[in-house]
Amino acid sequence: MRRGMVIDLEKCIGCRSCVVACKQHNAQPAGNWWNRVVTPGSERHLTPPEKGKEYFLPIHCQHCNNAPCEKVCPVNATYTEEDGTVLVDFERCIGCRYCMAACPYGVRQFNWEDPKKATARYGYQDGYTYGHPQEFRLKGRLVYMPSRFKGVVEKCNFCVHYADKGLDPACVRGCPGNARHVGDLDDPDSRVSKMIRDKNGFTLLPEKGTKPNVYYLPPKRKEV
Amino acid sequence: MSTSKKIGFAITGLLMLAGLVAWGIQVKEGLVLTNMRNSYTWGLYVAGLAFFVGNAAGGLVLSSMIYLFGVTSLKPFAKIGALCAFANVTAAMLAILPDIGQPIRLYNLVLHPQWRSPLVWDIIVLNLYAALSLLYLYLLMLPDFQGPLKKIALKVDHPKEFSEKWAKRLAPYSLAAAVGIHVITAWIFATQGARDWWNSAVLAPDFVAAALASGTAIVLLVCLLTYGLKDEYTQAYRTMAIFIAVALFTHIFFMYNDFFIHYWYGATEALDVLSITFKKYALAHAFEVVAPLAGVILLLSSNVRKSAGAMMTSCFLIIAGIFVHRFLLMPGAFDRVPLTIAPLGMQNTEFSVPIASGQYEPLMNTFVTEWHYFPSGIEIAIFLGVLAYVGFLIILAIDRLPIVKIEKAQT
Repeated sequence: MRRGMVIDLEKCIGCRSCVVACKQHNAQPAGNWWNRVVTPGSERHLTPPEKGKEYFLPIHCQHCNNAPCEKVCPVNATYTEEDGTVLVDFERCIGCRYCMAACPYGVRQFNWEDPKKATARYGYQDGYTYGHPQEFRLKGRLVYMPSRFKGVVEKCNFCVHYADKGLDPACVRGCPGNARHVGDLDDPDSRVSKMIRDKNGFTLLPEKGTKPNVYYLPPKRKEV
Repeated sequence: MSTSKKIGFAITGLLMLAGLVAWGIQVKEGLVLTNMRNSYTWGLYVAGLAFFVGNAAGGLVLSSMIYLFGVTSLKPFAKIGALCAFANVTAAMLAILPDIGQPIRLYNLVLHPQWRSPLVWDIIVLNLYAALSLLYLYLLMLPDFQGPLKKIALKVDHPKEFSEKWAKRLAPYSLAAAVGIHVITAWIFATQGARDWWNSAVLAPDFVAAALASGTAIVLLVCLLTYGLKDEYTQAYRTMAIFIAVALFTHIFFMYNDFFIHYWYGATEALDVLSITFKKYALAHAFEVVAPLAGVILLLSSNVRKSAGAMMTSCFLIIAGIFVHRFLLMPGAFDRVPLTIAPLGMQNTEFSVPIASGQYEPLMNTFVTEWHYFPSGIEIAIFLGVLAYVGFLIILAIDRLPIVKIEKAQT
């Protein structure tokens, strides 16, 4: 079993619902966003770089098979689960940020200050907070917690706390265009494997040799 | 104690204290007090690691030249070499410590080391080198321990012969450990395929070359400060000057060799990275080349070597140039976001994918493609504190230990 994701760029409308769902479900402190959606070629989101040329690209941790972030971590705080998911153990991380230097996708984020303090900068009414309220341990390792420690690295955890309940990640469930799909990349008959095969699935920065478990399907036409 | 030593202790002591206070504040508030952010994750602290590791090369140069290659004129300076090596390699570890977000968890390095990480290898080899240079210093001082220091002296029948024999035996190991610290520190960077600026096979040999230049320049500087110019040392200073010059020319050759190959092929990514150093940091780059070159050209002139002040200025130019070289490890790697894509269906367009900055400020962009980094006051205070530690330790050791040959003993 190799858990992978397919994002159909044909179906992505650039609404950033996945970004919001991810941020809210995973209690990301102010300033940190595990997931982002951009308009390639354009300085501004949702602005065509050229007339008739516009598509949207969601980017988060690519859960690489040859993950440089995992190999550089001096304390094995970043590690790969049996299903290929790359996780961060918040209790183990020493905050050296070597993994952030090593990641070519720029998806890793740091808690530069106490996350409670960071989020207080938002100035929400009545101390409003968000995020899945319970911490989650996978085989004893703390891979999700609603309020992170100061000085540790965080990134997309493939919603491992929901996977445990048999649920798809928040970004998949929250996508109004149904552009995101999760499945077993090892099984050639799985829906995701078929989609990659039939629709010319590609990965980002293949020249870096990271072998991501996140695939993209190219858009056929540009949504204008 | 001389007045100059007292002033030295006062200045370095105060700077160390200020650095410690700055680190305390940073531990309390978090690394938000630095100017690093998600897109620019390493700055002055990591550049400091590379700088001090390089400076620690001096001990190796002296001990291997004396005991492996028979350059006996350098013998009076062997102890200063070992001392500079110890001071700088420990400073390298101190420089990287404030970069750690959770310093109290450092025990995880012992409990859960991840053997594929170059950082783990570096910590091992730096500690090994620190222990080795301390042992070396002890061995070289052994025949000269007097008074209360006699208590720490190893009881051997012929301390002079014993010291000489073991210094010779240890020399090849210290050479291996010394080359090891530069190569492995370079591998921390050179292994990273995500950063085109670092991902080069020439980085490790270049680290060795730059280290031999700045490490020897530091030893020469300390020798000049303690012994001054004397006829009996002319030959030794000349040897060191030539060695520094060869090392520096090799370093500049390695660096431009790498630039040339990338420039000739002309891949967009490589040209983008080069333009950061050659355009945005043009002045800094000019300094990292011109200052040490001027330094070694001056040192090579026998007229300049007649003035201690001119020689010290030359050493300072070399060390400062190498410092700027180490600092320039960062902009080339972090100024540009590594994830750039060619948008589907568009010609001749390269698009940098923005990164969440990591800090929310009402007037600041949430996502950034560029981050202009210059160290914050806290970072500079901590770095100066570590630099002061090197000076403090060297003055303290020279004051208390039999490192500098006493004039009276000579006559």
